[in-house]
Amino acid sequence: MSTSSSSPMLTKFESKSSRAKGIAFHPKRPWILVSLHSSTIQLWDYRMGTLIDRFEEHDGPVRGIDFHKTQPLFVSGGDDYKIKVWSYQTRRCLFTLNGHLDYVRTVFFHHELPWIISASDDQTIRIWNWQNRSLICTMTGHNHYAMCAQFHPTEDLVVSASLDQSVRVWDISGLRKKHSAPTSMSFEDQMARANQQQADMFGNTDAVVKFVLEGHDRGVNWVAFHPKLPLIVSGGDDRLVKLWRMSETKAWEVDTCRGHFQNVSACLFHPHQDLILSVGEDKTIRVWDLNKRTPVQSFKRENDRFWVIAAHPEINLFAAGHDNGVMVFKLERERPASAIHQNQLFFINKEKHVRSYDFQKNIESPSMLSLKKVGSAWVPPRTISYNPAERAILVTSPADGGIYEYINLPKDASGAVEPSNTLRGSGTAAVFVARNRFAVFNQGNQQIDIKDLSNSTTKTIKPPHGTTDMVFGGPGCLLLIAPTMVYLYDIQQKKQLAELSVAGVKYVVWSGDGLHAALLSKHNVTIVNKSLEQISTLHETIRIKSAAWDDAGVLLYSTLNHIKYTLMNGDSGIVRTLDQTVYLVRVKGRSVYCLDRAAKPKVLTIDPTEYRFKLALVKRHYDEMLNIIKTSSLVGQSIISYLQKKGYPEIALQFVQDPQTRFELAIECGNLDVAVEMAKELDRPKLWQRLGSEALAHGNHQIVEMTYQKLRNFDKLSFLYLATGDQEKLQRMAKIAEHRGDMTSRFQNALYLNDVQGRIEMLKEVDQYPMAYLTAKAHGLEEECEAILEASGLTEEDVTLPSLGRPAAPPKALVPTYKTNWPTRATGMSSFEKALMAEGGDEAVAPDANGEEDLLAEEEAGDGFVDEAEDDDDAAAGWDMGEDAVAEVEDDFVNVESAEIGAGSSEADLWTRNSPLAADHAAAGSFDTAMNLLSRQVGAVNFKPLEDRFMEIYSGSRTFLPANPGMPPLVNYVRRTVNETDSRKILPLISRDVESVQANEFNNGKNAMKQNKLEDGVVSFQKALHLLMVNAVPSQSQVNEAQATVQQAAQYVLAMSIELERRKMVGGSADLSSFPEDVKKRSLELSAYFTIPGMDPQHQTLALFSAMNFANKNKQLGSALGFANSLIERGTNAKFKENAKKVKAIAERSPTDAIDVEFDTFGEFDICAASYTPIYAGEASVVCAFCKVKYHKRYNATVCRVCNVCAIGAPCSGLRLTV
Amino acid sequence: MDPFSAEGELVNIHTAFVQGQYTSVINDFETSSFSESNKIPIQVLQYRAHCALGSYDEVISQISDKDAKKSPDLAAVKLFASYLKKPSDKAVSEAELLAESQGDNLSVQLLCGTILARAEKQEQAVQLLAKHQGSLDAVALIVQIHLSQNRTDLALKEAKSARSFAQDALLVNLAESWIGVRQGGDNYQKSFYVFEELAQGPSSASATSLVAQAVSELHMGRTEEAETALNQALTLEPENSTAIANKLVLDTIIGRPVEETRAKLQSVAKEHEILVDIAAKREAFQTAMAKYSPKFEA
Repeated sequence: MSTSSSSPMLTKFESKSSRAKGIAFHPKRPWILVSLHSSTIQLWDYRMGTLIDRFEEHDGPVRGIDFHKTQPLFVSGGDDYKIKVWSYQTRRCLFTLNGHLDYVRTVFFHHELPWIISASDDQTIRIWNWQNRSLICTMTGHNHYAMCAQFHPTEDLVVSASLDQSVRVWDISGLRKKHSAPTSMSFEDQMARANQQQADMFGNTDAVVKFVLEGHDRGVNWVAFHPKLPLIVSGGDDRLVKLWRMSETKAWEVDTCRGHFQNVSACLFHPHQDLILSVGEDKTIRVWDLNKRTPVQSFKRENDRFWVIAAHPEINLFAAGHDNGVMVFKLERERPASAIHQNQLFFINKEKHVRSYDFQKNIESPSMLSLKKVGSAWVPPRTISYNPAERAILVTSPADGGIYEYINLPKDASGAVEPSNTLRGSGTAAVFVARNRFAVFNQGNQQIDIKDLSNSTTKTIKPPHGTTDMVFGGPGCLLLIAPTMVYLYDIQQKKQLAELSVAGVKYVVWSGDGLHAALLSKHNVTIVNKSLEQISTLHETIRIKSAAWDDAGVLLYSTLNHIKYTLMNGDSGIVRTLDQTVYLVRVKGRSVYCLDRAAKPKVLTIDPTEYRFKLALVKRHYDEMLNIIKTSSLVGQSIISYLQKKGYPEIALQFVQDPQTRFELAIECGNLDVAVEMAKELDRPKLWQRLGSEALAHGNHQIVEMTYQKLRNFDKLSFLYLATGDQEKLQRMAKIAEHRGDMTSRFQNALYLNDVQGRIEMLKEVDQYPMAYLTAKAHGLEEECEAILEASGLTEEDVTLPSLGRPAAPPKALVPTYKTNWPTRATGMSSFEKALMAEGGDEAVAPDANGEEDLLAEEEAGDGFVDEAEDDDDAAAGWDMGEDAVAEVEDDFVNVESAEIGAGSSEADLWTRNSPLAADHAAAGSFDTAMNLLSRQVGAVNFKPLEDRFMEIYSGSRTFLPANPGMPPLVNYVRRTVNETDSRKILPLISRDVESVQANEFNNGKNAMKQNKLEDGVVSFQKALHLLMVNAVPSQSQVNEAQATVQQAAQYVLAMSIELERRKMVGGSADLSSFPEDVKKRSLELSAYFTIPGMDPQHQTLALFSAMNFANKNKQLGSALGFANSLIERGTNAKFKENAKKVKAIAERSPTDAIDVEFDTFGEFDICAASYTPIYAGEASVVCAFCKVKYHKRYNATVCRVCNVCAIGAPCSGLRLTV
Repeated sequence: MDPFSAEGELVNIHTAFVQGQYTSVINDFETSSFSESNKIPIQVLQYRAHCALGSYDEVISQISDKDAKKSPDLAAVKLFASYLKKPSDKAVSEAELLAESQGDNLSVQLLCGTILARAEKQEQAVQLLAKHQGSLDAVALIVQIHLSQNRTDLALKEAKSARSFAQDALLVNLAESWIGVRQGGDNYQKSFYVFEELAQGPSSASATSLVAQAVSELHMGRTEEAETALNQALTLEPENSTAIANKLVLDTIIGRPVEETRAKLQSVAKEHEILVDIAAKREAFQTAMAKYSPKFEA
């Protein structure tokens, strides 16, 4: 035991229950089944620590339990002699297999056949078919309780253990043959089988004992096969764990592991490593080295005897059952130690080899070093720190209470060599703090040593009390981690700079720019800046595993099952799910680089849209947001509610389709037009009501009116009309009130209208003669008074009147408000919306003019009303109401309706909304935005040359349809989307497609080259450039074609301009002798440069030919030779080649130049299109974003000489030619 | 009986008018052969045909002030001709007056409606026209006004209601086709069929319907066919400004030099809307361009 380390156990989960007798891991999900002595079976999620389910049908203890590998099934066996097969989906016991005559000890599924094997105290081992629920084999032979029986993972073997002190290996190949399809067994097979296999004493050939392993001197409790090797491990009441090996023909004992001081309950092989694990009633879990059979580790529990152990088939997890429950644990840390330097990741893999990984090339290096000797063999190193200056690493390992080792990496990775000269020492943490210094922290004596590269201490620091870990803290600093605090410590000044109270920090991840760090604890991420000031913090219920920074300053972190992100402001969300835990090391664009648990580098692809979008929102990068909206399908409730929550309802509005949500958002951002549209669509009183109150707040009385109409809010409507001074509508309200028979309303309206007569009529109608009289009297309507008196059979003397004041008239509205809405400031369009409009991005809401239909008309004509009105007619027959009024009213309505027409928006307006192409905006006549787009896309500044193109597009997209004589023709808009009727997808026809430009201007230019009409050529090509700059093409491939054409045309323009420049200097003369020296030199150079731009081969031939002749005539034999060679090599014209050969022959005699010109035949260079001088490779230059022609730096921001439109070197997003 | 109905006396001349066969309207129908009550409508139609052909002066001189006073129809025609000859605010206000006093007269509705619509008083025009008693001419005019205001929805509504009382009348078909060219999609083809039927029938062909056919073809991207139709129209009426304007569009689309056509248009109709519009747009371009200050020298 002395050699075994007793590092603390890495417990992942613990449960409290009665004695656990059986355990099974689910092969895929984070589940374990635990069968208890109390007859219960529990299903736990060990990752979340939750009890998923309980199954209680057994009577008495349940000892055996197993998950099926693929089906949603599990099997259990108990002291009630029963084997039960369950479905965890339906959570029911599917059926029970009866047959055993005593306790069932273990049950296991076969890995591929529908079989279950069980071992029982009735001394038999039985194999069952769970599909037809039958017993297919009973294996007898043990003469005491059979304690355990398992299938071999690949072969047709069974191993069993019994209290009869023996372990038996059984051959069940006969059983498989018998139960496989009959056709598969030929007659020969049958014969062979009959002859070959001797039957046991009962003539049973299905399962025959192959080996009987004797060696334990007490009962054997457990036995297991090795997953790959022909090995068996068994444990028994003799406190021994025995290792057995077998061959085809025999089996023998290999060795014994001694150490348990009580009965061994169970044992198994580690699924991946050369280890044996065993548990016993001595309350220990012991780990043994399979090869040396020496103890590696042991873990002891205070009070609980262990009864069973199980291993996860895939991942490094084990579970052990004891008297008071179950524990799930790991044997070793799985986090691979890693360090990043620039594009390199250094990490230590499972074999403890140091490897590197190149992020750019996506290549993993071979092993560079073996760290087998660092720490103990079974303990992986904890951290690695890399020093690029020395190409050295610092590795720490928790072995032996913490050690560190300083190792130089070999120059190139040449396999897992043992490091030659290493420096080591003891310490909990070690990290490079400078090129030639590293810090070592020792938790035991609470001391930090700063050491030089020869491992001698140069400085000693006393860390704050209780420090548990130390990590890099920025240049010259350390972060010291204590259980509830983190300290920033300056090494130079030997002083603490800052402290922050954060609990349980385990890892620290610095951002690429070193300005921020993420402190990871088990359930929290705290983001701090480099002065350790907290910026944000977030809590996760699931364990946080690792984190890495995106270049844009977004932290991505991984939990057990997710990759998530968090912005600096604390906004977070899920990026993707993980099926297995990974450790992030870097984020680059859409790729997340990580190490998995097997320490293999992996690249996961993520969709960064969501957090990029949020980041853009936070930083108010509207262009980027726009881009994201347009290029990705960013929808979903989460982003909408996010935007809403963050106070950007107007942006959220862009995403939403659902009318209800749209309505809510529209109300929230005060976009009444959208709200009206949605309310119309939904048509629910609640919504109208809300819209009404919102519109009222806006002072938009027309919408208020509409909502009141919708809601039949007559009173409010009347009042609104009164307030807005709409007498006419008020009159109609009075009429409607009359129809409705609503006296109060009539009275009200009459009051509003100051309609005394109406009021009197109404009062008379309801027999309120006194009131009517009073009203009449008050207004001095004596005749009316008389009439009333007469009607009520009274005389004036009978009436006593109160004193009357002067009749008050309702105030008149001073302003005819009703005619239009209040002028409001143009709705505060956010810059985002503006950008959206300009780019013509998303669907644009085309609001109908409000208050279109007169809802009251419908109201009045409505069926319900007609009846009512008729009733009224009868009831009020005596009162002259008549039907004329109704007719009049209806007439009125026609007029009202027609009075409310207004101009709509033209199709051209749609184009600008539907398209981000300059051409489409030009077609719409929106030259402003078209120019804006071009200037953003290619840096266009000089639009003069584009004028004709703009006008051409504009006038080419409108036709004139003669309609009624005398009227101007109807303007219609020509579309390129001929079959489209969805207004959001309609786009204008753009004249002159790429093909026609190629066939005309482009070709003409080339012909001009051929005919040596260079001025015409330049014009032609520039025309082509302008045509293509403002254009629209249907597909990406055409975009590429257009761009290729643009670049080619630009090269021609460049070439021709060079030659024209030369001709300008020397005219047509080929002989330069009469010219001054500088002109000679320059013209020779120009003639040479003429050959450089990328023209078609036949045209380049022309340039070469002219350059060669020119050089030849002017005694530039060196240059002439160069051109001749090029001609011979690349020329397309036989005659020219002939000529070239002659020139070559002459020139080769003395290949020198009379004048030294700046032209290198072999050099790589471009020609500056402004100065016509070379730009050599590597020399700084600026480019025209449109035609891609290069210029010397000094021409930056001037107009491109080739396209004559764009500013050279302007920052821009690139030309868009397709929607 | 409605004189315009299928059995009525006026049906032929009205159809000819609608089809744009204005010369036929003027020459093939003798006023004297019609009954007294229809004299005025015939006259109005003929005057309107004159107007359509641009002979405004003839109309103005033929209608004496006395006649104009006597008959609101003729007054409207005279006003119409003088407005078309030279749009003026005076004519517009006179039209408004006339509309107010004689709003029930169909000719007044149509002609003053047209004047109002041209004078950017579309709402008034529609109001006036809405007083019609089942006149398809009025419906067609309303449809056009709605379309010119980009209110396809209202135009469609109008056409639909007209179809409900006039079924397959030529004007209804035409109005629907005008809407169709605005709507696009399948409706291009439908409109094309209507125009083509008119344009290619020997008895119904006219420059107007040929141009309409060409326009619908242009919208469907059939430039060659459109060109044929336009050329036919120009053979019939070499100075049809709408035809020339569309020729200009066609030439632009197929990338042909447009100078000649433009010059021709300028010569026939200096104030044609396309020219005015393009001039305005050129100005807009200059203004927009002026916001950028290109730097030409380093």
